Parts: sequence; structure tokens; C-alpha cells
Amino acid sequence: MTHKGSSLYRGYALFLLPGVLAFLVLILFPFLANIGLSFTKWSGVGKPVWIGLANYERAISDSSFWASFKNNLLLIVAMTIIPTIVGLFLAAFLFDYIADKFGQGVASIFRAGFYLPQIIPLVVAGIVWRWIYQPQWGALNGLLRFLGLDSLARPWLGDHSTAMYAVMGMMVWFQIGYPLVIFMAALQRIDPELYEAAALDGASWLQKFFRITIHLIRPEIAVVVLTTAIHALKIFAPIYSMTRGGPGKATIVASYFSYQNFFERSNVGYGATIATILTLIIVLLTIGFILAQTRREE
Amino acid sequence: MSSVYKTSRRHFLKLCVGTTGVLALAACAPITPPTAPTAAPAPLPAEKRVFKVWHYEVGYAMGDSWADAMEDFKAMHPDVELVFEEKTFEQIMETARMILSSQEVPDVMEINKGNATAGLYSKEGLLTDLTEVAKERGWDKILSPSVQTTCRYDENGIMGSGKLYGVTTYGEFVMVYYNKDMFKQHGVEVPTSLEEFEAIADKFLAEGITPLTLGAADLWPQTHNWQELLLYKADRELINNFQFLKGEVDFHGPAFSFAAEKFAEHIRKGYYGPNANAVSYVDANSVFFQGKAPMNLTGTWAFGEFMKQIKDFDWGMFLMPGKKLNTGSGGNLWIVPAHAKNKDLAYDFIDLTLAKKAQTVLANAGGIALNADLSQVTDPKVRELNALFATIIENDGLAFYPDWPVPGYLDILGGCLQDLIAGIKSPAEFNDCIAGPYNEYKASL
Repeated sequence: MTHKGSSLYRGYALFLLPGVLAFLVLILFPFLANIGLSFTKWSGVGKPVWIGLANYERAISDSSFWASFKNNLLLIVAMTIIPTIVGLFLAAFLFDYIADKFGQGVASIFRAGFYLPQIIPLVVAGIVWRWIYQPQWGALNGLLRFLGLDSLARPWLGDHSTAMYAVMGMMVWFQIGYPLVIFMAALQRIDPELYEAAALDGASWLQKFFRITIHLIRPEIAVVVLTTAIHALKIFAPIYSMTRGGPGKATIVASYFSYQNFFERSNVGYGATIATILTLIIVLLTIGFILAQTRREE
Repeated sequence: MSSVYKTSRRHFLKLCVGTTGVLALAACAPITPPTAPTAAPAPLPAEKRVFKVWHYEVGYAMGDSWADAMEDFKAMHPDVELVFEEKTFEQIMETARMILSSQEVPDVMEINKGNATAGLYSKEGLLTDLTEVAKERGWDKILSPSVQTTCRYDENGIMGSGKLYGVTTYGEFVMVYYNKDMFKQHGVEVPTSLEEFEAIADKFLAEGITPLTLGAADLWPQTHNWQELLLYKADRELINNFQFLKGEVDFHGPAFSFAAEKFAEHIRKGYYGPNANAVSYVDANSVFFQGKAPMNLTGTWAFGEFMKQIKDFDWGMFLMPGKKLNTGSGGNLWIVPAHAKNKDLAYDFIDLTLAKKAQTVLANAGGIALNADLSQVTDPKVRELNALFATIIENDGLAFYPDWPVPGYLDILGGCLQDLIAGIKSPAEFNDCIAGPYNEYKASL
């Protein structure tokens, strides 16, 4: 049995080869090279010079580095926390109310509408929102002026106090469809009898929502929170296309800061350090999350 | 870094990083250190030789001029197959160092001038020294000394002296485009001093018109407005010290203090309107195209665009008046990679791009030629433009771009200027903001 099993596995190993090779070439090797570079001072040309932990020490005392991670945390609010909460309520609303009253078709139209931003490349969405936020002829200020709220019109992306919130607003819009679609799929697998039983016991909609819905679709919520948090941590495209980290350093994020050092400032070693720290945080977050999830399931 | 100033290119970046995440940063880095350049093997005459040119100027005057030179090259070398590969500015910015280190190099390639690019590559021996060839072929006569500044790099890769590693075929500078109709309506004339310039701006302001349009969201445009003010008090020595990281640069001395205080004063008075930090370069120009702003301080690279876009009013140009130095430089560089296989053909090609014929095509397309037959240039505006450049050259007035000295200085300077525009940094704090990274880099050399 053992002998048979192992030869069987040997046969399978061959099929794993392409995946393993791709993993080695595209992920593991560049990752290790990146870690290696993070201990060097290198302009991108010539020989890297080993400088030990100096880049890491520099990162710890670099205000731009901390500003970038603070903005990543704000993006977790905009891309994970808000979309998950809003997505949950919206999904339940579409599923329980819209589909019930107006039919499955209408609910599907809404779902597709909310999901639409997700199929637009983020860079394109960023450029479009830059137009919306444009101070002189942008749609947002135009709408405010039309409503007589001229005093609220401002240079959204150009003002230090509003730029980050403007980016967050765009990301909420972009992100909402993703949890919505997953949660609506999850709702379909809940046994309707549970709701019927709860209704017979006199449970309100909110009680059913909190006691049944959220409880039963917890695995989906976990997946959404984890994937969107990772996305928020490594976010690059909207910053690149909307603000380039500005004004000043108001919207700088870790991956853009890394890019600036890597490509624009020829501080390849330092850029690699930031990328390594970012990767480390993402990996730790993922492990922590998976551990918490498994413990709960047990 | 002229092409940084053409934002449209930046929008089409190949998002090597953005799409694949952080790990891609590492994947983009070359794995092995570059090998020392080896002598190019002698080409085999029996085979049809392939000559490769890369540049990123398609759609601009330079692109037109070089296309003309390529036709001439084909006529000159019927036995050679010329392959032109169009690149984007970002592709070259992000991959040049890896390409130049490899054996798969083109024979002639356009790269960005400056310490962070051409300087870095020359220091590592990735570029061919063109000093002797330039003498033989007379390029050094066509390129005036202040144009050559950006072509020469010393052994540390610092611009301004040393061997000639690149050849530019055009010039560029910063000037004020003005709306002649608006000037006439409001009874103002082209200024001859900074005071007159301010008086004009004040007059427009008093009549409810924002005098200048500025797209500070893109980081680089405001660096020109600022440097033009710096050049009122900075002399050639200070500019050269600042650019070539030599001598003393006092960021709290009279010149830098004047520039920061003056710029802050202009902002406070409302010369640029309240939204400058949120306006992109493209939008700022379109405000001018629509006849809504009387003045727009920007570079000659936008000249062709202005010619095309403006139909409804008459416009003209002037240099910021009352000073000798002017933001500007020779253009980006033709370089011959150290590993190029057809260097002889590369020199022939560069020759053709500097020749009267291609240069006249350049001027007629709205570019600033170094060797054009101006009698063949028909458009009066283009003649005026080329005449302004001649004035700057006569004064030895090219003062380069302020983001050149330090790699990545554009983000720093542009970002600190955004803070100054927003009023969250005082002029003195702004000068600290730009002094820190500059001095840090200088100390690391």
C-alpha cells in the first residue's frame, strides 16, 4: 500500500513541476533577491555594497516611511472595513428585500451595477476620479455648486487635509462590489428554514441578520477581509494615477514610496527594504488571520 | 529631464509594479551585476547588418526630425536594415540600466540627460565615449558649450565636465506664453523687468482674472516657476555649484530666500489662483488654450501643442524679463551603448540628425534646432522661438532644471513646493525641506 502510494505520488510530482518552477522563478527567487538587496546600498548599476541593517535603521527613523504606512492603514479602512460592513448590509438588503419584492432580475442588475467598478482597471478609475475631483470643472464641485453648496467645493486632491480622504472615497466606490458579490453568493447557501424558524419565534430582521446571516457567512467575511486588507497594503495604482503621493506627502503609500526609491531616486537598496517590510507585514497578517480562522473552526 | 515634463507619457507607464505588487519590484532588478563592456565584434559584410534605433519622441518635433534622418540613413546605407523601435519615456527610465548592462542593446538610444541617468550609466562604463568622434565629425562645433554641459559627465558621473557621452540634437527652455488679445484688452505690454511683470499680474488680479495658470498637482511644473524666481538672484557660480554638487550652496542665502519668499508672496496674492495644487499640467494648459488665463509659464516642449490647440486668439512668448540666466538646457541625449554592435553606423546616424536637413525639419515642426537653416523656416512664431533660444545661448544663460542634481529630487522639490503653495510651510521651512535631501546626497558622494 505504502509502496503503491509513493509511486503514485511520484507520478503526480511531474505535474507539479511547472507550478513549482513558476513559483521559484517568479516569486521565491525575486523575493530572496529583494531581501538580499535590502541589506545593500545600490543605485541599480554596478555592484551592490553590503551595508547590513543600515536601510532598516533608516526606515525606522524616516518620517516618509511612517507616513506611508499610516496612509496604508487609512486605506484598510476604505478598502476593507467600510466595504465589508456596507457590503454586508447591501447584500442582505438586495437578497431579502429587493429580490423578494422586485424579483431576482432586479437584484442581479443592482449587484452588477455595484460590481461594475471592479472590472475597470484601477489606473483608469484613478484618472476618471481625478477628473471628478478636478477643482474647476470636476463633477463633484459642479454638483456642490449646483446644489448651492459652493462653500463645500474645494480642490479635493490638492488640499493636504482632504487629499487622502478623496482617495479613500474613490476606493470605497471601487471596492464595494467585491464583498457584495461574495456575500450574496454566500447568502444563497443559507438554509431558508433557519429564517423561517426565527420568524416563527418572532425575530426581527436585524436579529436574523446578526444571529443567523453574519454567523453563517463568517468564512466568506474572513476571506473578504483578508484579501482586501492585503490589497490595501500593497496598493499602488490609484496613488500613481491620482496624486503621485502628493500634495507634499499627504497620500504617499508604502509601495509607491518603494517605487520612488527603486526607480526614481536610484536608492534600490532602500526601495527593496521598504518592499521587504511590506511583504513581511502582509505575510504576518495572513498567517495570523489563517490561524485565527482555523482556531475558530475547531 | 525634459521628458519628465511631458506628462502624457507618464500616464502610459507600464505598471510593472502596480499590477503585480511589491515582489515585482525585486523581479525588475537585474540579477547579475553588469559585465565589463567588451569590444564590439567586427560586423560581417556578407550578411545584411541590422541597425537598431530606440527613442521616445514619436509625435514631437524631434520624432519628425529623426524620422527624416532615418530616411536619409536608409538612402546612405541601402545594404543595412534599419529597425526603429518606439519606446515610452517610462520604459527607458525604468529599464535603461538593465538593457545597457545586457548584450541586447540597440546601436543608438535616446536617454534622459542628468546625473541620475546618463551620469550613472557613464560612470559604470555602459556608454561609449564620444569625445573623439565628436571632434572628428564636427559635432562639438554644432553643440555650444552650455548645450554640451548636459552631454558631458566626469568619472563620478556628475554632469558638466569630463568626457562627452551623449549628443543632443535640440534645445529647450522655459518661457512665458501670453495671450496677446487679453494683454491688448487690458492695456498691458510685454514686461521688461520683474516689477513690470508683477504690475501686470496685479492689474489682471484687480480685474478679477487669475494672471497665471499652474498645474502643481503634477509636481514638476511649479519647480520651473520657482527656479525662474531663483535666477533673479542666483549667478552662474551658484547655479553650477548647485547643479554639479560642487562648492558651497547656502539654502538660506539671499538667492534661495528670495525665491521662496517671492514665490510665497505670488501665491498669497493669488497669482496662481486657489487651486494650483489640485490642477494637472494638462488642465493648466487647457485653461490657457481656452483664453481664460493671460499667462502660462512653461517650457518650449509644449510649443507644438500650443500651435495646434490655440485657434481663437493671438498669442506670443517672452522670457521672464530682467535676468540673464534662464531655466533650460540641451535636450535628451543620443547615446551609443558600450555593447553596441554597429558603432560606425551609429555615428553616421547621429551625424544625420545634426545635419542642416533634419535640423530644419525639427525647427519647422516647432522644435528648437541647434543647426537649422532658419531661412527655410516659414512660421514667424517658430523663428521667434529659435531667436529667443539664440539669445539665451549668447548669454551663456542655460541654467538647467532644478531637479537634476539629486536622483529623485523632483518629488522632493515638487512636494515641498506643494507645501509652500498650501501655506503649511514657511519660506524658511521650505528651504530646509529641499536642503536636507540635497545635503544628504552630496555627503554620500
